Amino acid sequence: MNELERAENGLDGSALSKPKTLTSLEVYDQYGAMAYGIILQILPQVHLAQEVLVSVFSSPQLQSCNSYPFTFAACVIKLARAKAVEAKRKLTALAPVGADYANGDTSPQSIFDLAFRQGFTPEEVAGKLNISKSEVLRSFHEFFKSYRNA
Amino acid sequence: MSKQEFIESGILESHLMGLANEEERQLVAEMMLSDQTMSEYVNDLELNIKRYFAEGSVPPPEDVREIILLRSIREKKGRSSSDMGEPVYARQYLDVEVNDTHMKVHKLWRPAFIAVFILSKIFLIAGLYFYFKSVAQQEEIERIKTEMQLNNK
Repeated sequence: MNELERAENGLDGSALSKPKTLTSLEVYDQYGAMAYGIILQILPQVHLAQEVLVSVFSSPQLQSCNSYPFTFAACVIKLARAKAVEAKRKLTALAPVGADYANGDTSPQSIFDLAFRQGFTPEEVAGKLNISKSEVLRSFHEFFKSYRNA
Repeated sequence: MSKQEFIESGILESHLMGLANEEERQLVAEMMLSDQTMSEYVNDLELNIKRYFAEGSVPPPEDVREIILLRSIREKKGRSSSDMGEPVYARQYLDVEVNDTHMKVHKLWRPAFIAVFILSKIFLIAGLYFYFKSVAQQEEIERIKTEMQLNNK
């Protein structure tokens, strides 16, 4: 069971307004540029990023977004990140690169960058920065709060 | 955990970005079921997150759309042929006219070609060796024959 399916089982779909059922191409037309931007942030290699973009919008998981309790945008963000991180892991497994994170920087921006763009789990981020996982999660909240207030 | 504590915990953001674990996803589900006002907050949060990522949008090349279109057509074809009971092998390929001078072959052809190349070289060398050897032998026989004829005379 994938993450989207798990989320689907775990939440009441009627809690939020649901968009109409969309085809892959309609979703691509709406969120393709956003997904490509996310993928490029994680995987800067243009050709690989395009391959990942195709895999996102050809993925059967995208159809499960139609029954996803949150909006399509949230579903596409999750899926784009998951696919890009997966591709990045495969790439770094072939050619390992050093950890390119600002060591000791515990700002919400840095924590968000480690978790979202560099593909580390909140537990791994907490381990790297010697902070608790709850602090990592709180940083996500702080990050989006500061963005909203900016 | 109170609503405010839950909101400030960052679990919702983590969940929306696909970083939450099973326990946290369960907690989000429970909180949303227990507090209907949470939906409004989640809607706002989703819009905020969407706006953030939309700012970093990069228009992808047109070709990507074409590929996705072709794949969705293939999937539709696959679904419709499976509905009609077509055999699996019949819907494994998509009829696409490719304007390309290259072709793809199975990886096993590489060692096969190498083996054929090496064998051809071995046979060529062996052929030349035996040819020159037979020529030399033929010359030797001719020479012996001539010598014998001269001795007989």
